[in-house]
Amino acid sequence: MNGNMAAIEVTGVSKTYHDQATGRVVRTLDNVSIAAKHNDFLVLLGPSGCGKSTLLNIIAGLVSYDADGGTVMVEGKPVTGPNPKRMAYMFQDPVLYPWRTVLKNVEFGLEAQGIAKEERRERGLKYLRMVGLEEFAHAYPRQLSGGMAQRVAICRSLALETDIILMDEPFAALDEQSRILLGDELVAIWRQVQRTIVFVTHSLTEAVYLGERIAVFSARPGRIKAEFANPLPRPRAIGAPDFNRLVEALWNQLKQESIAAAGRTRPAQQDMLLPNE
Amino acid sequence: MTGCRVPPVLARWAIILAVLGLWEAGTRLSSVSSLLIVPPSLILWNVARIAVEAGAVPDFYANALVTIGEIAVAYALAALIGALIGIAVAGSRIIGDAFEPILLVLYAIPKIIFYPVIVLMIGTGYPAKVIFGILVAIFVIIFNTTAGLRQVDANYVRLARSLGYGRTKIFFKVELPAAAQTILAGLRLGFGYTIIGVLTGELLVVNAGFGYLIDWASVNYHTAELYALIAITLVLGVLANSLVSRVERLWVK
Repeated sequence: MNGNMAAIEVTGVSKTYHDQATGRVVRTLDNVSIAAKHNDFLVLLGPSGCGKSTLLNIIAGLVSYDADGGTVMVEGKPVTGPNPKRMAYMFQDPVLYPWRTVLKNVEFGLEAQGIAKEERRERGLKYLRMVGLEEFAHAYPRQLSGGMAQRVAICRSLALETDIILMDEPFAALDEQSRILLGDELVAIWRQVQRTIVFVTHSLTEAVYLGERIAVFSARPGRIKAEFANPLPRPRAIGAPDFNRLVEALWNQLKQESIAAAGRTRPAQQDMLLPNE
Repeated sequence: MTGCRVPPVLARWAIILAVLGLWEAGTRLSSVSSLLIVPPSLILWNVARIAVEAGAVPDFYANALVTIGEIAVAYALAALIGALIGIAVAGSRIIGDAFEPILLVLYAIPKIIFYPVIVLMIGTGYPAKVIFGILVAIFVIIFNTTAGLRQVDANYVRLARSLGYGRTKIFFKVELPAAAQTILAGLRLGFGYTIIGVLTGELLVVNAGFGYLIDWASVNYHTAELYALIAITLVLGVLANSLVSRVERLWVK
C-alpha cells in the first residue's frame, strides 16, 4: 500500500437477506464498487430503498455483507465492525440522549474511547464553538430546535476527530432553509478540518450543492449506475445555469430508477409529470 | 377577567376540613352509636394516646416495627427480584417468549388465593407476610421494567454501537437511563402494592403488626382506637410514598 491509498475502497460488495415476514430472499446491493480518496466529499444519491444507506452501514461496520468475494477496506484495512477511531457515523435523526446535556452528548463518543475528562470537555466545547452552540453546552436536548439538535450531532461526529465521517441523510428531517444553512456549515467545516465525508441523500439539489463526487444508484437491487465529478466552484449557487445542468444530468440517470422504485407505475403517465429530458 | 382563582391546594384543604367538620358535627349531634363511628377530634386524641400511653393498644411500637420491617424487606426484595426478572424478560427473546405469558396470567389472578398455600408451607410468621407482600408487588415492577427497556429507541442503541460501546456499557449508559422513568414508575406503584400485600397478610393471620392491632381494636369494639390506628397507617403510608417519590426524583432529574 502506498501513500495514495484510498480512504474507503468498496469492491464488488453485494448484500442479500432473508425477509422473515415474506420468506423471500431480498437483494439490496448488487456488486457495488466505489472508492473515496482522502478529503473527498462523496455523495451517494439514489431513490428510496435502493440500498445506499445499507452501503453506508456496511462501510461503517454496522451491517455485514455477503461473503462472496466482495471487500470493504478503510484506510487499507478490512472493516470487521464499528471502528469509531477511524469513522464517525451520523444518523438521519440527531439521536441525542435526553438525560445528558448538550456537551455530555458531544462527549459521549469520546467516553467510549476512555479519553480523559478534561480533554473530552475541551474537544466538545471546541466543536460546539465551531457550530455556534457553545452557549448551549449545558442545556438539555429538549431545549434545542431540530436544526440545533442536528448541529450537536455533527459536533459529536466531529469530536471523534476521525478522518472519515459517514452521514446517512443527516438533514432529511429538517426544513429547506435549515438544510441549506447546515449544508453551508458542513462544507465550511469540511474545508477547515480536512475530513473524508460520505453523504447519503435522495435530494438532487443537496447532492449537487454539497458533493465533490456524486455516485448515482439504481433502484433495488442497488448498483452504481453512474459517477459524476462536481467541478462547480464553492460557494455554489442553487439554480445557477451550470448548477441546473448537473442536476439535470443526475436526474436523467435517476429518472427511470425512481419510476422503478416508486413501484412501477405506468411510465407513460409518469413521463408527462417529469421535466423534459 | 376570570374573577378570583382559588389555588388547588387551598381548595383541597377546604374540602378536607369541610368533611371533617361535617363528620365532627354529625357524630356529636346525632345519636349514632360511638361503637360504629367516632368524631375526628376523638380519633386525633386517640392517635396521641396511642403514641404516648403504653398499653393504649397492645405493644404499639413493637407492632409498628414489625409492619415497617415487613414492608421494608418485602419491598427491597420485590424491587430487586422484580427488576432483575424484568431485565431478563426484556433482554432475552427466549426468556421473554417463555415466561411472559405465565407472568401475565399470574398478574391477572388475585394473589390472595395463594395466601393459604403460603401459610400452609411456611406458617403464619413474619416470612409469610413478606412473601405475600412480594407476590402482590412484584408484577407491576417486572412489567414496568420490561416495558421501559423495550421502549428504548433503537437508534439510541445503534448510536452507542457505532461509537464502539459494548453490550454491558450500552445497558448501563444507554438502556437503563432511557428506561429509568418507566422503571421508577413501576417501583413507586410497587411500593403501594407492597403495603397492601403486607397489611392484607397481617389482617388474615392476626398475630402481629398493624393488621393485628386493627383487628384487635375491631373485635374488642375499641372503635376510637380502631379509627386512630387506621389514621396512623394512612399517614405512614402517605409519608413513605412521598419518601419513595423523593428518592425517585433524585434519580430522574
